[in-house]
Amino acid sequence: MADQTLPIAGVDITPRRRSTAQMLEWLHGWVVTVDHKRLGILYMVYGIFFLLVAGVEALAIRVQLAWPGMHFLSPETYNEFFTMHGTTMVFLVGMTIIFGFGNYLVPLMIGARDMAFPRLNAFSFWLTAFGGLLLYYSFIGGFGLYGMGAAPDTTWWAYAPLTEKAFSPGHAVDYWALSLIVMGFGTLGTAINVIATTLSMRCRGMTLLRMPLFVWLMLVTSGLTLVTITPLTAAQIMLTIDRYLGGHFFDTQAGGSAVVWAHFFWIFGHPEVYVLVLPAFAIANEIIPVFSRKAIFGYPAMVAASVGIAFVSLGVWAHHMFTIGMTSVGNTFFVLSTMLVGIPTGIKIFNWLATLWGGKIRFAPPMLFCLAFLFQFLLAGLTGIMLSVAPWDWQLHNSYFVIAHFHYVLVGAIVFNIFAGIYYWYPKVTGRMLSDTLGKWHFWLFLIGFHLTFDTMHFVGFLGMPRSIYTYEPDRGWNTLNFWISVGGMIQGIAVLIFAWNLVHSYFKGKEAGNDPWDAWTLEWAVPSPPPVYNFAADPVVRSRRPLWDLKHPDDPDWKYEA
Amino acid sequence: MAESTQHDTLHKAGPAHGETIHLPAPTAWPIVLAFGCMMAAAGLVTSLWVTVFGAVLMVSGCVGWFRQVLPHEAHEDVPVVVQPVTITTTRKVVRRLEIGPEHRAQLPVETYPIVSGIKGGIAGGIAMIFPALAYGLLAQHSIWYPVNLLGGAGVGPSAHITTAEIAQFHASWLAVAIVIHTVTCLLVGLLYGAMLPMLPNRPVILGGIVAPLLWTGLLHSAMGIINPQLDARIQWGWFVVSQVTFGVVAGLVVAREGKIRTGRGLPFFARMGIEAPGLMESHPHAGPPLDRDEEKH
Repeated sequence: MADQTLPIAGVDITPRRRSTAQMLEWLHGWVVTVDHKRLGILYMVYGIFFLLVAGVEALAIRVQLAWPGMHFLSPETYNEFFTMHGTTMVFLVGMTIIFGFGNYLVPLMIGARDMAFPRLNAFSFWLTAFGGLLLYYSFIGGFGLYGMGAAPDTTWWAYAPLTEKAFSPGHAVDYWALSLIVMGFGTLGTAINVIATTLSMRCRGMTLLRMPLFVWLMLVTSGLTLVTITPLTAAQIMLTIDRYLGGHFFDTQAGGSAVVWAHFFWIFGHPEVYVLVLPAFAIANEIIPVFSRKAIFGYPAMVAASVGIAFVSLGVWAHHMFTIGMTSVGNTFFVLSTMLVGIPTGIKIFNWLATLWGGKIRFAPPMLFCLAFLFQFLLAGLTGIMLSVAPWDWQLHNSYFVIAHFHYVLVGAIVFNIFAGIYYWYPKVTGRMLSDTLGKWHFWLFLIGFHLTFDTMHFVGFLGMPRSIYTYEPDRGWNTLNFWISVGGMIQGIAVLIFAWNLVHSYFKGKEAGNDPWDAWTLEWAVPSPPPVYNFAADPVVRSRRPLWDLKHPDDPDWKYEA
Repeated sequence: MAESTQHDTLHKAGPAHGETIHLPAPTAWPIVLAFGCMMAAAGLVTSLWVTVFGAVLMVSGCVGWFRQVLPHEAHEDVPVVVQPVTITTTRKVVRRLEIGPEHRAQLPVETYPIVSGIKGGIAGGIAMIFPALAYGLLAQHSIWYPVNLLGGAGVGPSAHITTAEIAQFHASWLAVAIVIHTVTCLLVGLLYGAMLPMLPNRPVILGGIVAPLLWTGLLHSAMGIINPQLDARIQWGWFVVSQVTFGVVAGLVVAREGKIRTGRGLPFFARMGIEAPGLMESHPHAGPPLDRDEEKH
């Protein structure tokens, strides 16, 4: 590589060559990396990219529904967009971002140099990434009888027998099933890695009950992932057998059962909500204490509640199926088991409130998002309890009330805490602070847009608007409400654009962060920002749950108080 | 004013200047294998040759990967670059939360034993059967009517069931009613025993009369949504009588059982029953040891 400039007739050609070579070398470094931090960043960038894609799909859906009789999208494209929006948000945004956080932070928080299986880690990421690309390739490659590129259009839960060949010709459903199988194996690999890393690579002194709660929850999430992804993958393989090898698992005209698909899907689908929300809790567990200047209240109870939520979540799936028709005993069991989730979840909310109580709260962007999460998740939990009552669910299932409820969970809790986590750890990853001003603009616009959209959505649900409809008649009384729901969606879109701009702008122009900009207490803040490739030059030794507190307050360390 | 502590205190041992750290070597084989897996799957919806191409990549990826880790794992030596890191805080003063008199600073040092709640639930459950049966006899001319209302709510009979059918004996409904009644009474009794210490005065009146009235009001307002058929058949006056009967009897039984010390002032391990010599004396909040005989009485 040339290392000097050649000024020929006023034109310097060398820097361009050097820049290209450097760019290729830089790119090669990312492609062959097995470093958990780089893979974590790749997960995050991938997830944020698809967050923008899914956001565009959501906005297109909202434009279509903003007014009765609209034809902004064709009916076919509308079906594809809401199917792809749901699939993308769950599998390509939620899962990738939470495992991005886990990949980047778990080894740093437990004082390890990398994940237990670094190559498996890279393999898992690339499987997930290529699986997502395969899914989106269906837009141009999934043509069947539709006469155009056909993405999956059978909703993200893809009920049988709609997915059978007779009702979904072409390859769109195949792309959906195959891509989820590929991504599923990637997810399983990462879950195994997180479990192995957490159990076997903690630094000296870090007992299980001294682990940061973030790590605890990633451990629980990974265990839950192993249990839940498996039936989904099995169901996708059965569906593929139905479509390619003449199987009849879900073919109701040949002795198959559509209800079996529903059971398989929701045995995955409901715990999946907890797979997504537990890492969101994990983020709140780190941010709320630091920005309240207090230790987390009730650490053992928080651990027990997390394990409890994971356990109970495995026994609630059929509350998604009250309207399919079950026996009274079945209905009663799933009503009660669903309500049971409220107990460990309530413990968590009370503990977060107790952590805030009496603290010196700093209203920086990470904390703002977490505070909004607390309020919104409480409301989401309450509407969840309402929907767990079978007769109530019979009235409102498949209405926009249900859409409002689960967006309160997935956006109001999970996306808000993902934003909180990005504001909190971005300085560690890049060495630069995100703009506080842009962060607050992002927060307030997103908050206003969120409530305008999803609060209002509860009411159109009450008024009987079914989910997944392409358009509606103007005499139903839903016009104005739908208009404001769409306006709220646009405001959220603007907020996300501000966030994206903040990410890019601050990377180049942001204030230097230093190693510990938030005055925090866990091990990742004891290394430079960004951390060196080996994380820790020497193995750390900890004596309490807040090792940096012990160093900052040698006269009043935590280990004196922890049993 | 910043208080700073050197980073080195966290790290007890590590490589000296100029040394290196072994890390897994970067490798392209995982991405090759992953791409091969995706192509193999994509071939099912595109062309057999895509699957063949994917399979070739998968085999190559596996072979390359194995050669990375067998017989010895490939690694790279990363030189340690010493970067100055200080662990500092601008908030060196630590304050303890002060709990004012307006806050509930005292935990109950005495409470009713859990078993008393269960006994109360059993007694209340037996007692409330009588007003329920009396209602059946007096208002519906059948003792099975209230039983079937309860059991039928669990079994979920036909939507068009008649009053006469409800007044008849049904073995399965009776069995379900017994299960529902027993479990509910035990759980409510348990809850009752746990809540009694929180009721400031006259626990029997508050727990036995006020709480059942509130509970009945809640059910009355919600039952129309939860189960409209059942709502239409409940006589709420009789319902209140049986609930109050349960509450008063359960309350009296619990109150007669007497209180025991909670051991709130003891360390967690002592409360768990773990013998740890010296622990209780050294704990700042330790009270006198809890005598097991004293706990019984």
